[in-house]
Amino acid sequence: MTAPARILLVDDELSIQRALAPLLRSRGYQVDVAGTGKGALKIVAEHPPDVIVLDLGLPDIEGSEVCRRVRESASMPIIILSARGREADKVAALDLGADDYVTKPFGPEELLARIRVWLRRVLSEDRVESGRVTISDLTIDYDRRRVLRGEDEIRLTPKEFELLAFMARNPDRVMTHRAILKAVWGPNAVDQPEHLWVLVAQLRKKIERDPAAPRYLVSEPWVGYRLATSD
Amino acid sequence: MTRDSIRLAAALAVIAAITLLYAAVLHVNNATTVAMTFMLVVLVAAATSRLLVAVVTSIAAVLCFNFFFLPPVGTLTIADPQNWAALIAFLAVSLVASNLSSVARARADEAMERRDEVARLFDLSRDVLLMTDSRDALSLLARFIARRFDLEYVAVCQRRGERWEIAEAGSLSIPVPTSQLALVLASAEEVLEFDARNRTYAGHRTITVDDREVRLVPLRLGTKPIGVLAAAGRPVDPGSLDALGGVVAIAIERTQFLEERKAAELARQSEELKSALLASLGHDLRTPLTAIRVAASNLQASWLGDAERREQADVVLTEVERLTRLFENILDMARLDAGAVSTELEWVHPSQIVDAAREHVEHALSRHRLETVEADETTLVRLDPRLTAAALAHLLENAARYAPPDAPITVTTRVQDEALIIEVRDHGPGIAPADLPRLFERFYRGAQARTISGTGMGLSIARGLLAVERGRIWAENCADGGAQFTIAVPVERKHMDTVGVSADARA
Repeated sequence: MTAPARILLVDDELSIQRALAPLLRSRGYQVDVAGTGKGALKIVAEHPPDVIVLDLGLPDIEGSEVCRRVRESASMPIIILSARGREADKVAALDLGADDYVTKPFGPEELLARIRVWLRRVLSEDRVESGRVTISDLTIDYDRRRVLRGEDEIRLTPKEFELLAFMARNPDRVMTHRAILKAVWGPNAVDQPEHLWVLVAQLRKKIERDPAAPRYLVSEPWVGYRLATSD
Repeated sequence: MTRDSIRLAAALAVIAAITLLYAAVLHVNNATTVAMTFMLVVLVAAATSRLLVAVVTSIAAVLCFNFFFLPPVGTLTIADPQNWAALIAFLAVSLVASNLSSVARARADEAMERRDEVARLFDLSRDVLLMTDSRDALSLLARFIARRFDLEYVAVCQRRGERWEIAEAGSLSIPVPTSQLALVLASAEEVLEFDARNRTYAGHRTITVDDREVRLVPLRLGTKPIGVLAAAGRPVDPGSLDALGGVVAIAIERTQFLEERKAAELARQSEELKSALLASLGHDLRTPLTAIRVAASNLQASWLGDAERREQADVVLTEVERLTRLFENILDMARLDAGAVSTELEWVHPSQIVDAAREHVEHALSRHRLETVEADETTLVRLDPRLTAAALAHLLENAARYAPPDAPITVTTRVQDEALIIEVRDHGPGIAPADLPRLFERFYRGAQARTISGTGMGLSIARGLLAVERGRIWAENCADGGAQFTIAVPVERKHMDTVGVSADARA
């Protein structure tokens, strides 16, 4: 690693800033702190960070609006800090471009792990659009539309393949139900989540060793799904 | 009777006067002129008094006419059959006229009476409108009826399951058997007929209890009987009694409606309380918990220097302080709701209250400059210092929350008109005019204020605490920016006479 990764922490609560900023610095990150949405946007414009950690409840601009404005010009990962019971806000922020979330109250390791995942993704730039992708022992061959576990081919229906391919193109990102429905079935299907539930169940039976405790296609309750690349 | 005898005497006197005038003074002897004059007197007598007066007057008139004016004058002999006709005409006029007038008078009396009843009903309905949903609303209603209708006994009876709930009023107490009430209610359930002559609906019943006549009237809401009104004493016209029953039924319904509305309002408030508490736990609990969790695990780590360790410990302390304050608020609110806050009066110096409040919210004020102005340095006041300081603490916390850190917060104390006045002036953004009326409502947060963390409990608790010691609180915007909150608590005051006392009071 040449330069330390830059993290922008956006939270209006002084105590959160005072607790999180030293923690992140202690792990070798360079940390900028903003207490308002406007301040955050200014820092993004002047010194684009590698990862943004964003609280949804800001005094001036809603967190989801901050997501939208950041996405107009930049593509760095955004991790949301949000409270349980505010799933709607979370989904809105994810739909507007956020990548992941951590629910308050969270432990420090939880946040640090997410930051590590996203930094790795940024640094390795492995967003493959074609060719093949390997996740653990699962190999997805985009060109030949095939999926292998080890050496064995798993036969998927076209929709199942589309779902898996879409999730694999956004590894580790929480994809909202809405976003998946739109990608796999088209914009008219966004209000019919039952399609998705059925398809996910079918796909899990084929790719997961234990469909009841999925290892690849992980549920994010009330929000969406995530394709986990590491255990 | 006496009025009639006066009228009769007057009529006879007029007859005598006319006779004297015509016979002795004017010497009028044209029988027609005299007859017409007497006829006029009879007509007036008949129109103004009862039939008997009119008949006696006409007989007197006929006798005078015959004796003094009809030939042969000076005798009561009737020579000419023409005179019979005159006599019959007099009698006929008096009969017809007095009959007409008595009918008209009876009508007028009836109208007066009805107007009287209507006035009573009107007064009663006004009383009913002033009734609240108090527990004794029904006995209050019975008292209103007894007073407005001058009744000796009134009972508003409602059946609750097998029991009868009876609210009584009036100077008498009559044990009305519930079996009779049940009968009235049962018959009212069966028949709903309107009796046009008495202007009543079916179901009225008169019973005799202890030699007293008691009138029982079914109370109906629409067509549904809901109870019985019992009345004794002054006879009230059945139509009015029926209308009274209607007003009573409406009053009962209104009371029930008010009770239900109050219950619904209470349920709504407690629902609101619950959701507001949940929302507040969502943010005001999660944020401190997150900060404490992260800071505590930082404290465990080995990478911390001394300064950093102090910083992390401070985060924990600050957030624990915040949680403590939150729980205090929730507890205070619960105590106020339960009416469990009482006052304990003490002689103190106003500055002690300010000091106590400041100390209580020291953490919140850490980034602000607090200025105090004492207008009255030598006056002691008697009040509950704890309640007042707690209320003031909420105002200070509020000011610290909304005002910028560099601008001063000014607390002014003065004693004025047997009240301690404490003003808290900040240089923040002020209060949006739309928020002013609802500022002290529980969980109310201004549109602007929602971006700043807070629970909407502080000001409502301050108001609640002050209300316990009969104090008031209000807010206004200052002309040169910022908001000013004012507390006024009624106090006893006394002058500090020696420096020593002053030092003690401040200790």
